[in-house]
Amino acid sequence: MLAYVIRRIVFGAAVLLGTSLITFVIAFVIPADPAVAMAGAKADPATLAAIRTELGLDQPIYIQYARYVDRALHGDLGRSYIRREEVAGLIISRFPATAILALAAMALSLALGIPMGMLAAAHRERALDNLLLVLSLGLVSIPVFWLGTILLIVGGLYLHWFPLGGFDGPKSLVLPAITLALGSAGYYSRILQTNLADAMDQEYVRTARGKGLSLRAAMFKHAMANAMLPLVTLAGLDFAGLLSGVVLTETVFDWPGLGRLAFEAVFNLDIPLVMGTVLFAAALVVIANLVVDLLYAWLDPRIRLGQQL
Amino acid sequence: MKFRPNAMEAVGALMVLSLVLVAILAPWLAPYDPTRAVANTFGDPAAPSRMYPLGTDQLGRDVLSRIIFGARISLTVGVAAMAVTMTIGVTIGLTAGFFGGALDFALMRFTDVMLTLPALLLAMAFVAVLQPSILSILLVIGLVSWTQIARVVRAEALSMTQRDFVVAACALGAPSARLIVRHVMPNVMPIIVVMAVLGTSGTLLLDAGLSFLTLGVPPPTPSWGRMIEEATTYFRVAPWLAIFPGLAIFYAVLGFNLLGYGFLRRRARAASAL
Amino acid sequence: MNMHPRRHTRSAKGRAISTRAAAIRRCRFALALIAALIALPGCRSGAPPPQFPPGAMVLKLAAISDVPTLDPAAGYDVDSWMFEQMIFDTLIRYSDAGVDLVPDLATAWESSPDSTVFTFHLRRDARFTNGRIVTSADFKYAIERVLDPATRSKGMEYYRAIAGAEDFAAHRAKSVAGIETPDAWTMVFHLIVPDPIFLQKLAMPFAAAVPREAVEKWGDDFSRHVVGSGPFMLKEWIGGQRIVLVKNPGYFVKGSPHLDAVVEAIGVSEDLQWFKFEAGEIDVSNIPPAVFPYVMKTPRLRDLTLRIVTVTTRYMGMNCQMPPFTDERVRRALNYAVNKPKLIAVLNGRGIVANGVMPPGLPGYAPGLSGYPYDPARARELLEQAGLGHGFAATLWMPADQTMMILGQSIQQDLDLVGVRLRLKAVAFAPFLEAVRQPRTVPLFFMGWEADFPDPANFLDVLLSRHQWGANNDTFFSDPRVDALLAEAAPLSDLARRYALYREAERIIVADAPWVFLYYPITYEIQQPWVHGYVLNPMRPARLEKVWLSPHPAS
Repeated sequence: MLAYVIRRIVFGAAVLLGTSLITFVIAFVIPADPAVAMAGAKADPATLAAIRTELGLDQPIYIQYARYVDRALHGDLGRSYIRREEVAGLIISRFPATAILALAAMALSLALGIPMGMLAAAHRERALDNLLLVLSLGLVSIPVFWLGTILLIVGGLYLHWFPLGGFDGPKSLVLPAITLALGSAGYYSRILQTNLADAMDQEYVRTARGKGLSLRAAMFKHAMANAMLPLVTLAGLDFAGLLSGVVLTETVFDWPGLGRLAFEAVFNLDIPLVMGTVLFAAALVVIANLVVDLLYAWLDPRIRLGQQL
Repeated sequence: MKFRPNAMEAVGALMVLSLVLVAILAPWLAPYDPTRAVANTFGDPAAPSRMYPLGTDQLGRDVLSRIIFGARISLTVGVAAMAVTMTIGVTIGLTAGFFGGALDFALMRFTDVMLTLPALLLAMAFVAVLQPSILSILLVIGLVSWTQIARVVRAEALSMTQRDFVVAACALGAPSARLIVRHVMPNVMPIIVVMAVLGTSGTLLLDAGLSFLTLGVPPPTPSWGRMIEEATTYFRVAPWLAIFPGLAIFYAVLGFNLLGYGFLRRRARAASAL
Repeated sequence: MNMHPRRHTRSAKGRAISTRAAAIRRCRFALALIAALIALPGCRSGAPPPQFPPGAMVLKLAAISDVPTLDPAAGYDVDSWMFEQMIFDTLIRYSDAGVDLVPDLATAWESSPDSTVFTFHLRRDARFTNGRIVTSADFKYAIERVLDPATRSKGMEYYRAIAGAEDFAAHRAKSVAGIETPDAWTMVFHLIVPDPIFLQKLAMPFAAAVPREAVEKWGDDFSRHVVGSGPFMLKEWIGGQRIVLVKNPGYFVKGSPHLDAVVEAIGVSEDLQWFKFEAGEIDVSNIPPAVFPYVMKTPRLRDLTLRIVTVTTRYMGMNCQMPPFTDERVRRALNYAVNKPKLIAVLNGRGIVANGVMPPGLPGYAPGLSGYPYDPARARELLEQAGLGHGFAATLWMPADQTMMILGQSIQQDLDLVGVRLRLKAVAFAPFLEAVRQPRTVPLFFMGWEADFPDPANFLDVLLSRHQWGANNDTFFSDPRVDALLAEAAPLSDLARRYALYREAERIIVADAPWVFLYYPITYEIQQPWVHGYVLNPMRPARLEKVWLSPHPAS
């Protein structure tokens, strides 16, 4: 088990290194002069040259990259050009808002998606299944930013039930979480329905059913366990993905999270901030992957014995 | 309610087809030029009326005509981006799955890295650097969304190379290119088609999202995402400006999703019938 | 300053990257991350908003973007200045509603007839919020800090005419010889060239007094721990969420400010600001374009609006080095082709058609200019004469912003009618500013200029003289007659002659048409009926020390 754990961690670290390389290359091709961004267009050439030296921009690119990785390992992601604060600090200050939103959305989407999936599986190939299928496809097909805007106007402006955006008390969480959750709920219900249907087709479930086990009992006793595991994996990974996928929702609701920070960074071509947010989001995905992999290995010894990487 | 998978496919196909028709026939269907001012509603959009069934916007343009012409851009970008996605994903997936070994390892690790990067953020950064245009947008969408396809295609190709007939052909010394084209491709084709159709709904949404963040196809080309973006500030006084383009996106995405899931269900059925 | 399309924000100056020990940083990062994670379940609503005792007078505001900085040496944008002028004091400042100078920390001042020597007498009862009395040395330190290249202040250029400034900036002198502080309450500035608008330069927040001990203690983070002598002081600033200022009880004007606190929620879009205003959640708000017609049609709301014509001009620049805009007939044609009244309509009337460079409200403004009326036939005629009867294509660059995009599309429609096919290119603001400064890069661009100080030089010299190529003269316009007139006018303290020369220069510029003169924006804000004493200034953010609130439901 230990060997497996080490292998997974090394693998995760390697992926992150690759991510940092790609991020760095992107930052390198962004046509904005950091020195001008920092000192302003009126700065004289000597000042600009001094800044370039200070930032190490006069060094060869591989040295710049090595320095970036070295600093990143020490928790230093540089200073934002526009805000002039430390990128790491900015990310940490925005992370809780996004994490809360993502957690709430995740809980809500599972709470909606699981019953929908089970209901559909129980009424397989019948009217309710089809209705739920169309419903879930409908949920998946709504553009989030449009849904968010409509919820905001109806729930916030006309009904006065919820605050008009911003991050201010539990009530302010409701609309953004719904916006983010509906699409995933449709998605999860589809996955669960498919997995449940597959599980119900398994020989042992069929046999049990043949022996007179009720549909409900078969589903809860046998099929659910098999069908839920992949769903939880997916949810775990989606959670990490959600953190970076909240850009649109956070923009609509003026939610002070990472998504909006990243949007501002890209918009201002604030290179250290772009790199920092992308890298942070990637690190979350890698960590989530790692956790899920290790949980799996713990649950199922065959995986850690197999040679798949 | 009797609703068989074929029916789902049929509805989806009908929705997609209707969109294609609207896009092609836009100049004849649209009552007005989508980029010119046709009403004097500058700064004060007008509600739907007999002359302008979906109203006019803050530049005096007819919303219905803009939505009709918007179908062209959305479909073009959605489908072309999917073509780019499929080209990259299928090439990488097939190569990795067929040749295996170190090449497979390298390509899949690269895919892993790309999978960790947040797609929308990456697309935003690329578009911001390249400057928005139809070409740059569809390329960027393709560049950030091929990873899932590569993975699925690789898995299919891998299982295919272990089938007897491929192993036999390989043993007989058939060239790899021919093996891939003659034996592997046709067998992974169905899953590719399904993924392409489902993927198009994804590219449509990504395009709309980019437009909403003002990183879409530049004006005056009407695009649904940008119409919503331009309308957000008018939501209170002129909700129709945002509602109708939103419905158009919803319709297009739903069409592709229905079609894709229809295919998927038919496959699942065929498989379970075997 | 260049006007950012939405909040005319101009990115503030950069600072040296700190070189703290990596180990400390690593620990801090890890600790902070852990802390953030632990705090997660408990902090369902972010940090709790500050509580004020019942009856406290708290002005609630909202803004879309975070304040870039509170460091007066760094800020060069409206958002930063709004708060800087609440926290810090300059020697002199503008009156609440006008562009005339009034005392701030200086009680009296004299200038020599040739505008090279300026003497100030300071009041003796002003204290920094750390308890120390403000003296002339603090003003000297502030200006030296701006002049020090290590500070990289964008305000540097304004104080370079002080004797010894160049030596100080080049580290040849330990202090600026031309700033004398004979005693704690007297300051004398000596300039190397006459500068009739030097007083205005001292009214910019760059020249505000800062306590050396606090600046040196906090270094790069002074912006987060500002210490000033102004009517308010910083209580809390959570990036992306809110900034809270509270009354400075030791402020030297007795009984001022009236407000106990100012709370600005950050990250609230213009639309949401409006919704919050309607819900009574904020006291003063912008009015988004969409609801503007509705507000103006509703007497109850219209009576709550405040209106001011800002000292700003918006224009479409044409690069005079890039064909076909090298031909003045083409430039004039575009001026005739753009339907400016339509632009004003698209803006819901929030602008005045521009006939020249200088906006109304700028001393020296020439009301008589006729400009270019909307005349597409005349435009086609001129294009015909220039050999472009068949039309041409061009790219209009603009900052990526909703309003700019709409105006761009309106102009696109207009130019299409005279055969000019316009491509719109939206670019983020910082790279946009960088691009327009490159020679022969940007053929057409949207730009706005808001006065830094009330003088024609701030428009004509800065935007249209030869020596500003590559800086702010982004059309690369050059006319020897104009340059000569500007040089002649610059040192003149005789305002009548000064303005006459500038008007002559403007007349030539309008005829040469390096810009399509678009409009002078009008700013509208709306305040709740319980807000009193809130006054807009045509050139600076509103000051809040005279604002008070009558009892209201939300308090």
